[in-house]
Amino acid sequence: MSTPSRKRLMRDFKRLQQDPPAGISGAPHDNNIMLWNAVIFGPDDTPWDGGTFKLSLQFSEDYPNKPPTVRFVSRMFHPNSKFVVCSILIVYADGSICLDILQNQWSPIYDVAAILTSIQSLLCDPNPNSPANAEAARMFSENKRDYNRRVRDIVEQSWTAD
Amino acid sequence: MANQTEAGPRKRKAVDGELGVDAVTIMETNQLPAEEEDAIDSNPNNNSVGAGASGTHEVFPEEYEWSCFRDAEIMQQQAAIREEAIKVPYVRDKEPLSALAAEFELGSSILKEKIRLLGEQYTALRRTRGDGNCFYRSFMFAYLEHILETQDISEVERINGNVEQCKLTLQSLGYTEFTYEDFFSIFKEQLESVLQGKETSISTEELLSRSRDQFVSDYVVMFFRFVTSGEIRKRAEFFEPFITGLTNTSVEQFCKSSVEPMGEECDHVHIIALSDALGVAIRVVYLDRSSCDNGPVAVNHHDFIPAASADGSTEPFVTLLYRPGHYDILYRR
Repeated sequence: MSTPSRKRLMRDFKRLQQDPPAGISGAPHDNNIMLWNAVIFGPDDTPWDGGTFKLSLQFSEDYPNKPPTVRFVSRMFHPNSKFVVCSILIVYADGSICLDILQNQWSPIYDVAAILTSIQSLLCDPNPNSPANAEAARMFSENKRDYNRRVRDIVEQSWTAD
Repeated sequence: MANQTEAGPRKRKAVDGELGVDAVTIMETNQLPAEEEDAIDSNPNNNSVGAGASGTHEVFPEEYEWSCFRDAEIMQQQAAIREEAIKVPYVRDKEPLSALAAEFELGSSILKEKIRLLGEQYTALRRTRGDGNCFYRSFMFAYLEHILETQDISEVERINGNVEQCKLTLQSLGYTEFTYEDFFSIFKEQLESVLQGKETSISTEELLSRSRDQFVSDYVVMFFRFVTSGEIRKRAEFFEPFITGLTNTSVEQFCKSSVEPMGEECDHVHIIALSDALGVAIRVVYLDRSSCDNGPVAVNHHDFIPAASADGSTEPFVTLLYRPGHYDILYRR
């Protein structure tokens, strides 16, 4: 059955194959175009360098008018914790993600490549200029060393986790 | 460690939606030392996190650490408004203007007088759902209904030219073509089908039912959002001072957060951009409590005349009624 969302996802896939952004790969499951696996490589020259992070993206028939549910698959984090990547990206113990463009700032202009690139770029730049969360911003500037140490732990875990 | 285990079940309640109770405990967790921050349990069963139904603010436990009781109340109220909103169709049936008078029967005398004056020029109104898309939705229906009634083929040809131009604009701005092309084709399909005498032609009833259909209606709204955003970005220099004055953000950020997501309300800036991009004049009639100190009460309106048709002869055929925070469609005598 070819619905508008499925047709659109085929185009998302084609774009990702033909013109993959650096450090990103993704593909739908063989038998289910609504469910994707993706990998983001930790950007060079950041504490995330060398990490390989698996994600899953679950789409609905409302895509692209509604965002997919994106979560990290690799168990990257200590159980019972969440990780504040930056003031606008938070990852929970179960891998689910809190990111504005995947919630109330979603727009159909984002395709799969753009979603993954956004997440990747937030790893690059852990402190975007977001006055909304001054609290988180302050945490980074005060605990930079602690933050980097925790990121390195996550990166090492990403090599062994399946 | 003690804090960890205690915080867990407490935070879970926030997810369950007991906002009132939880607001208090949230203020307690605010007191936790900073390093406890990431030790706080997030509910592993909380499927709503990341599920992100567009336009909804889900209850994220972590938001509470930075918020206070009042925010919780606001969120609860916003949820109630959304629930109320989905009970009415996107575009409602045409109503006589007297329906508006009845609504304000106990209202201020200025409003009542203005409604009486409106009655001299307008016969009816058609309400739209107050979901943040009401301007675009009203514009969509008013425009397509006008074409359906007038069968103005030269206007259709003209706007088709502008739509193609908008496509080129998005292309040159670096938008990925497949992210917007479906929205463009759904709009063009509607435009095509209101012209009569073809296999695909539709009646006013069918136009109404399509405007109430989530797929068609939201796709056309999103089409207008793309067009608006493209126009603002293309003429960033022109729009920048207005945007900085309005929101204190960059043009880029404004488009990303206030134009492109569904449910983001329409302001003066958006209307100028949409009217210019499509070359369609729009009249907005303001129903508010403003009045002059001396002289009789008058109903203000503003005509958005597209920059390209500055010959002054353009009389808007799309007329919208603005009440603070909401747009509906007005019908002239």
